[in-house]
Amino acid sequence: MRILIVEDDAALSGFLRKGLEAEHHAVDTAHEGSQGRAMALEFDYDLVVLDLNLPGMDGLAVLKSVRQHKTNLPVMILTARSRVEDRVQCLDSGADDYLVKPFSFLELSARVRVLLRRKQLPSELVLTVRDLSLDRVQHRVERAGRYIELTTKEYALLEYLMRNSGRRVTRAMIIEHVWNMNFDSTTNVVDVYINYLRRKVDDGFSPALIHTVRGVGYQLSPEGASA
Amino acid sequence: MSAAPQPSLKLMQDQEVFGELLHSLSQPLTSLRCSLELSIDEVAERQQATVSVALQQTEKVIGMIQLMRDYLDAEQPGSEAGPVPLAPAVRVVVEELASIAELRGIKLLLAGSCTAHLPLPEPRLRLALQYLLAALIQTALVNSEITLQLEEGSSESVLRVECGNGARLRDCAQSPHSKRDSVSGTLGSVRLAVACRVLETAGAFLAIKDGNRAGFVLRIPRWLATSSTPA
Repeated sequence: MRILIVEDDAALSGFLRKGLEAEHHAVDTAHEGSQGRAMALEFDYDLVVLDLNLPGMDGLAVLKSVRQHKTNLPVMILTARSRVEDRVQCLDSGADDYLVKPFSFLELSARVRVLLRRKQLPSELVLTVRDLSLDRVQHRVERAGRYIELTTKEYALLEYLMRNSGRRVTRAMIIEHVWNMNFDSTTNVVDVYINYLRRKVDDGFSPALIHTVRGVGYQLSPEGASA
Repeated sequence: MSAAPQPSLKLMQDQEVFGELLHSLSQPLTSLRCSLELSIDEVAERQQATVSVALQQTEKVIGMIQLMRDYLDAEQPGSEAGPVPLAPAVRVVVEELASIAELRGIKLLLAGSCTAHLPLPEPRLRLALQYLLAALIQTALVNSEITLQLEEGSSESVLRVECGNGARLRDCAQSPHSKRDSVSGTLGSVRLAVACRVLETAGAFLAIKDGNRAGFVLRIPRWLATSSTPA
């Protein structure tokens, strides 16, 4: 996929480019608002990652202009403004997603995938990783054809891991997406629930699908953790 | 020739100074966090532990910045502010934290109802309730109960949250969990302060009790509920 990053901070822009290229995307960068706008309108991108605070033309003006000409082009906003009303303003102006700095690259990468997939396909009703399946309509989980009973939180955690199958997710990402909290309550709730899931999803089956990624978090993958 | 009077430079207020500093800090911290995340796979195995510790420390700093933002945002009314009904927000927060409480053998029991609304953005109200309840869960005795009672009075709506066997909220900074992580423990008491500021800025009254019947009482005056309820 071809992605345009419009971000005036050269260091950050460089890291994002490096990370997204490692995930096999073709990445262009612009460091100034009007340049970003011109590139977004002239070339055929699958996604624009747009900083709000840009020299020349601010990100919101770029967004509005892009939205007028390319209604279906997904745009993800990066900003240091975290207030609810800032988020509402961006989404009302046509942004598809909104990420507050200082964000995690893994979070950005997960959201990029969601936006790119949304462009191609409606969301999958059944998630499958090897012989593990999760039916999002029936709320039913099976491994090798055997029904697995999960609590609500275990189900939510497994769904999140499966949606990010093959990718690393941090404990902070899990806390935010599964428990809907943006802070660590200093409990080891994520580790405990990962253990619950392992007992139900991996014990007695081969290969193990849930892997610990040292220093980062967890990964659900048929091939083992990537780090 | 007399010079034309020069307008005096308007200096930033405290709120703006801290807001600008936090805004400026977030840029290099994003670069730092992303670079550490990306480099953890690239460095030799013997250096991975060092990068991992650096990443964890960076995430702690980011957590502190988020708390500072919450504290500053607490006084911003917000164009999309409320009114938000209290009772559903309490129910959601209880559901969100139930599994965390359960790990410590603590049961959350919610009863009653009320019609109170608060002039706040919904996420901010939820955050304040999360901070309060999380602090109680963190400092309550294991295998205890925390009751949450919503009441409708003639002049006010009330949310009473009480920990049956007591909790040591004042020791938030030295909770059993925080022994291994004093930064998180200290942040527990800052979170209480943020919650208090959020709710009181919205016009509610919050009293936090410590000791045997530890908990908190949130009072929302009738006039506030009436004035902020949609027509």
